[in-house]
Amino acid sequence: MIGVLRSLGATMSTMMRKPVTIQYPTEHRKVADRDRAFPILLWDFQIDEPFCTGCHACERACPVECMTVTMKDNPKAADGDSKRRKIIDEFYIDYGRCMRCNICVEVCNFEAIAMNNTWSGHELSSLDRKDLVLDLDQLLTLSKGERIEPWLP
Amino acid sequence: MPTFLAEWGVFGVDMNVWLDAFVRLQIIVIVMTLVVLSLIYVERKFVGRIQMRLGPMRTGPYGTLQTAADALKLLTKEDLRPATADRWLFELAPYVAFVPVFMTLMALPFMEGWGVRSLDLGLFYIVAISGVPTIGYLMAGWASDNKYALLGAVRSAAQLISYEIPLILAALAVAMVAGTLNLTGIVRSQDAVPYVLLQPLPFLILLTATLAELSRRPFDIPIGESELVGGPWVEFSGIRWSIMFALGEYAGLFGFAVLGALLFLGGWEWPYGTASFWGSFDWLYQLVLISTKAMLLILGMMWISATFPRLRIDQLMAFCWKILLPFGFLQVMINGIVLVYEPPDGLRELILFATSSALVLAMGYVIYLATKQPSRAERLAAAAPARSAAL
Repeated sequence: MIGVLRSLGATMSTMMRKPVTIQYPTEHRKVADRDRAFPILLWDFQIDEPFCTGCHACERACPVECMTVTMKDNPKAADGDSKRRKIIDEFYIDYGRCMRCNICVEVCNFEAIAMNNTWSGHELSSLDRKDLVLDLDQLLTLSKGERIEPWLP
Repeated sequence: MPTFLAEWGVFGVDMNVWLDAFVRLQIIVIVMTLVVLSLIYVERKFVGRIQMRLGPMRTGPYGTLQTAADALKLLTKEDLRPATADRWLFELAPYVAFVPVFMTLMALPFMEGWGVRSLDLGLFYIVAISGVPTIGYLMAGWASDNKYALLGAVRSAAQLISYEIPLILAALAVAMVAGTLNLTGIVRSQDAVPYVLLQPLPFLILLTATLAELSRRPFDIPIGESELVGGPWVEFSGIRWSIMFALGEYAGLFGFAVLGALLFLGGWEWPYGTASFWGSFDWLYQLVLISTKAMLLILGMMWISATFPRLRIDQLMAFCWKILLPFGFLQVMINGIVLVYEPPDGLRELILFATSSALVLAMGYVIYLATKQPSRAERLAAAAPARSAAL
């Protein structure tokens, strides 16, 4: 009999507690700093250009070959504004193929690429696979817009 | 025309008896549908909060339109009938299960002088009618040609018939104290003290038996989603399922809650329901009183359902036949002995309160003893030590 009353009390106390539900599409749980969504390129705000020099290290290391990188001479280096003699020309990452292994981040010599640790790295569903192939501008939008803090090992 | 009809009218308008009854019925039907829709929402929210969820939130503000959307979906869904089903039994079963539930509502006085009809044998009528849905469940289970449906139907028949008896005894104990079977009379006799104080044991019995009658959670083996995948209703879909399950169950919940409020919590009478200082607004206060009491009972039942796990069939039957039924009979007998000597007014209430509370304690002690009993396996092991040693 006591157990019956005690269990009624237990349900009442859980009722008084705050619900743990998060109303997902309108409300987002905070993503962890080490969250590993998809790779993005980082923006060098001091010189106003990407960190990436197009060295192909990530492209060679990528186990699923989802990256395409081309390099060009940096016009700012000729002017003396930048120490980077070469800079990225075109960069494509196929998010549909990427397996989020983090190897590109680990091999990068310039800390120019990082895993997206915001919700924008997760909500990527699209109706066409072609939309999942991101070009240089799209890869840089996030780091250009807000100064994000990628978690780098 | 009987005088009380002329006194009541519907909105003070003089009407033909049949027209009057028709208008009252329509009001009941409309109010009932709205109450059922909101009760489903309330239950989902309440149980959600108990499980630390939010419940429905998307459709409409805070999910208030969720039940309306569900009802619309169910009404437009295809009405399936298995090829091997017994056609007429299958198609009529939902109505047999659900019409009696509505019929009980006709005898319930919701306010002073406002019900569809005030029957002199109102309590008797309700008790008689509330046993009929069992036939609907049996029909549904048999006609579905499905072993789960049949199992569920037989279980529900066993359970509903068993728990009908303690329910009747609890209602009878109250009717004895009130001295009438007319629900209006029973409510009027509670102007000073509600019967839950004079008769706590019948109140507890009624609460338990109501949960069982409605096949709610601690007593839901007839439905048992996880073992019988829905009991008698496995093969039903669309409008038939919604009539039987949603309307029947929640209308029954509301009806029994109002009945409990009328019998034990003083209905629209206590406290000060018919006092003169309300003037012409007394009906409003009475409506608030009766709906608050009914809602308290409904929330209590939802709370109990959300807390306890399903009982085994033998525990269920043992609880009814070995505990509720004997104590119900004891209460009726004691009431008879007390009332036949016609003690003076204050003393009568005191004796009734004392005997019923003593019975509540006795029942609690008996349940305590029963839970302390060794299980069957332990008893068998103790009875045959030699045999197990030989093996």
